[in-house]
Amino acid sequence: MSTAPAPHRPSARVQLAAVFRKEVGQTIRDRRVMFLLMVAPLVQTVVFGFAVDFDVDRVPTLVADGDRSSESRSHARRLLADGTLAPAGSAGSVAEAERAIDRGEAAAALVLPRGLGADLAAGRPATVQVLLDGTDPNRATVAGAAASRYFGDLGERMARERLAARGMPEPARIDLVPRIAYNPELRSPPFMVPGIAAMLLVIVTTLTSAMGLAREREMGTLEQVLVTPLRPLLLLVGKMAPFVVIGLVDVMLLVGLGTWLFDIPIRGSPAVFLAATLLYLMTTLGVGLLISTVSATQQQAFLGGFLFAMPAIILSGVMTPIRAMPEWLQLVTRLNPLRYFVEVMRGVLLRGAGFGDLWPQLAALAVLGAVILAVATSRFHKRLA
Amino acid sequence: MRERLRRSLVRVGAMAAKETQHVLRDPRTLYMSLGMPVVLLFLFGYGLSFDLDRIPVAVEDRDHTEQSRSLLDALTASGELEAVAGAEAGAAEALFRRGEALAALVVPEGYADDLSNRRGTRVQLLVDGADAVVANQVLSKADALVRAEARRLLGPDLADVAPPIQVRVFTLYNPEGRSAVFMVPGLAVYLLAITAVLLTALTIAGEWERGSMEQLFASPVGRLEIVLGKLLPYLVLGILELQLVVAFGAVAFDLPIRGNGLLLFAFGAMFLVGMLGQGLLVSVVARNQLVATQAGALSALLPSLLLSGMVFPIENMPAVLQALSRVVPARYLVHALRGILLKGNGLDVLWPDLVALVVFAFAVIVLATARFQRRLA
Amino acid sequence: MSGAAIEAVSLTRRFGSFTAVDAVTFEVERGEIFGYLGANGAGKSTTIRMLTGLLAPTSGEARVAGHDVARSPESVKSSIGYMSQRFSLYLDLPVMENLLFFGGAYGLSGRALRARAEALLELTGLAEHARDTTGALPGGIRQRLALASALLHAPEIVFLDEPTAGVDPVARRAFWRLIRDLAREGTTVFVTTHYLDEAEYCRRIGLMVDGRLVALDTPAELKRAWVPERVLVARGRDLAGAAGTLAAVPGVRDVSPFGAGLHVLVEAGREAEREVAAALLRGGARDVEVEATEPSLEDVFLAVVGRGAGGEAP
Repeated sequence: MSTAPAPHRPSARVQLAAVFRKEVGQTIRDRRVMFLLMVAPLVQTVVFGFAVDFDVDRVPTLVADGDRSSESRSHARRLLADGTLAPAGSAGSVAEAERAIDRGEAAAALVLPRGLGADLAAGRPATVQVLLDGTDPNRATVAGAAASRYFGDLGERMARERLAARGMPEPARIDLVPRIAYNPELRSPPFMVPGIAAMLLVIVTTLTSAMGLAREREMGTLEQVLVTPLRPLLLLVGKMAPFVVIGLVDVMLLVGLGTWLFDIPIRGSPAVFLAATLLYLMTTLGVGLLISTVSATQQQAFLGGFLFAMPAIILSGVMTPIRAMPEWLQLVTRLNPLRYFVEVMRGVLLRGAGFGDLWPQLAALAVLGAVILAVATSRFHKRLA
Repeated sequence: MRERLRRSLVRVGAMAAKETQHVLRDPRTLYMSLGMPVVLLFLFGYGLSFDLDRIPVAVEDRDHTEQSRSLLDALTASGELEAVAGAEAGAAEALFRRGEALAALVVPEGYADDLSNRRGTRVQLLVDGADAVVANQVLSKADALVRAEARRLLGPDLADVAPPIQVRVFTLYNPEGRSAVFMVPGLAVYLLAITAVLLTALTIAGEWERGSMEQLFASPVGRLEIVLGKLLPYLVLGILELQLVVAFGAVAFDLPIRGNGLLLFAFGAMFLVGMLGQGLLVSVVARNQLVATQAGALSALLPSLLLSGMVFPIENMPAVLQALSRVVPARYLVHALRGILLKGNGLDVLWPDLVALVVFAFAVIVLATARFQRRLA
Repeated sequence: MSGAAIEAVSLTRRFGSFTAVDAVTFEVERGEIFGYLGANGAGKSTTIRMLTGLLAPTSGEARVAGHDVARSPESVKSSIGYMSQRFSLYLDLPVMENLLFFGGAYGLSGRALRARAEALLELTGLAEHARDTTGALPGGIRQRLALASALLHAPEIVFLDEPTAGVDPVARRAFWRLIRDLAREGTTVFVTTHYLDEAEYCRRIGLMVDGRLVALDTPAELKRAWVPERVLVARGRDLAGAAGTLAAVPGVRDVSPFGAGLHVLVEAGREAEREVAAALLRGGARDVEVEATEPSLEDVFLAVVGRGAGGEAP
């Protein structure tokens, strides 16, 4: 046999290339995994992009009209016309309305007392009741506010008319003129879809990288790798590499899909977006690798990855605003890469933010990623025990 | 016939006992199904809320009069809006981009003058629409505050002309409007769904990979027996988890428990059978732990979160998604749990949900058994 | 580096309260085929794992290819090849891809790597399987791939842990021809095996019992030391039932099954062939033939283990 002597210090570049080639080869070969990593997230983003809608509207509302005058009927009609409340039928009494709310047939009820029309016409004080299903406090608040606003406006309008009729000067009025920047109709998709994409990426990257190394341990191939002079850092980096590529492709496809299907703008710098995506992927993959260095089996690795992914998803500011969390929890989210990635995405896509605005988030991602990778490398001993 | 059934049940029992041994020997499984959901419920119950306060608003007073200052004071007095210093009109967007303010308010020059001369005056509000949830809240809060101030200043003029129309609001169930009351039952279901699917997703797939399936097939245990036997211990765990989570939620978040505990148990059990079955189906088809976990996570995580009515009302979704949500068992349990806990609903209102859960559970078990091929390849 | 390829001095490994390898001391010379025998759980694999830098010793030291396994395990790894007991290459990759990966891990690349991989595939008779998925190949062929992979970087020392387990006899012969060629070219081979007939190929053999190295010598010396008795082999029919009668024959020390016949150990210097044959015939055996033979390593093994822990050669 010819003896081609191996170089005494194997080249890092050669080792890294070998790991990368193997990882890519293995991943691409498994069609089901490829499907789950690339197609499933896209499908889910589309589906959920259509599902999430923070707008509270068309709240099913019953009308219990004790007056049955033309005025009361017209007021009820107008209140239910603007779209926030939707007519859900009528009730004969307050008790009946309560029962309907109980059964979930309506979420609100407008109770107009007998004599309402006459009182209003005569300028006598009048009281209107609104019953709300408080189970969903957000919905209840919006419904209640709509009713209050309507009748408040009504009262003011009637008062001004009276004044005008008597020839007295109208008092001043203060009007609040709102303008909405970036998303004038307050559509949910531009704001939610990037978040959903980020959530899906966590599942795809952290879980697979966590299980990858554990899988090698379970299958026994890790032993053969440990006995080579392969540097631990290169093994970890090489294992991450194909998933960085898959993650990048996923993000680009998702943004493309988002732009096309949901009219999501891209107002800011794509370079910043790309940088954030890379840093984010490295951080989530790093977490997965860190978990795998302390897991003996795939099941353990999965559990660890899951315990990271769940809080990261829910406490990311995607579903509920971080500002609404208690102070201590807000501090905890500073360790959540998802939070920073979502902030960058919303900033770049919707607000046209650039590097100068978002460098704190990018820095946070970089620091998190570096620390995690460093800890993972140091924990990964090239020994079985 | 009776004898065959008896033998079958014995085999199911044996499988269940073996699986229970596995579970007891692995403390991580116990932690995952009993410890973790409680911890997460605690975390999320406190963390998930839509109630914002101290929203940073950049205020600019171009009038510099007593009246303008009083308007700004009124707006920030309640603490819902918080003034951020140093805002000029043009700089608002820069502040938005850096996340330092969520809205910008401008009181125009001549505000006081307009007021005393009985003219209309306009206060400008620019809201960062990139976060729709926050934007909505800012809009409604600012609107309410300005109206209140307007009424205070101008009300007396109008009052003797036409008395105000009072609107009395009665909120049934959750009068304080706490987010927790709404979110916690949904969270409980969510956590239950996730842990159920993932607990079982790994079991059969793991056995395929480790090769212990071969031995199982060499024995006379049938497919349905394997499926049921593997399901039982996790069902028990799941029911324990449900009780634990509901009890914890009730105590920590002051949730009412108005309804029938037995009904809750029945719903919970049916739901668990369905979700555990879903996990088993995934692992039977996957035969590979990596695929099983990805498929399990993807099939349970987001659908249960987004299509169950836990956060977003189902009625507001497009028809296609409303139809899709009918195949998400979490939807039924969320509805039932809220109904039972908060409203004291009974079977007369909730029977459609129970039927749906039973159908799902049955279908999933049949599918899992059918796809479970008693061959090695 | 000093003459020895492998040196172990009081090498010990404990797992909690269980001592898997107990103060093992030996040296393996360059170019030697060194065999390591012992029952399952005797500590062979643990010893190899320490020598390859996979496990840290609890105490004691070892030097492989001149490097200390505890202090510079990575240097050790560059100079050795390892074939583990359980197949540990990637089942989902094609054969050639496995070789390209592991070659790359050792720093080989490009055309040189490919040429080397192809040469090794030729050598191990796997050339036609280069593109086959590893998992689809039968066990015996996979073992050959594992060996090829261990030799990619032409290491000075090769550790083979039960390389022929589950392999058919023809393939086993071929394997050992390869190993002998390797040794002839100067590669040191440290091999553990269950097959005592294979152990005869080794220049020296170490025997492990319950974590301790109780015997270390050439096969010939071991036989001389541990089986001082004369060994008779009895062949015939219905021997098993008749074996009990031999206990009564004076000078018979031990009787054990050997293949289809019996090995009868008698006192050194005693000519007991006829008495043994007669006793067996009396016991109901038929067509009995008894003749003297060389002790086998199996006899040695039984003697070593039979004398229990702390056994010493007589």
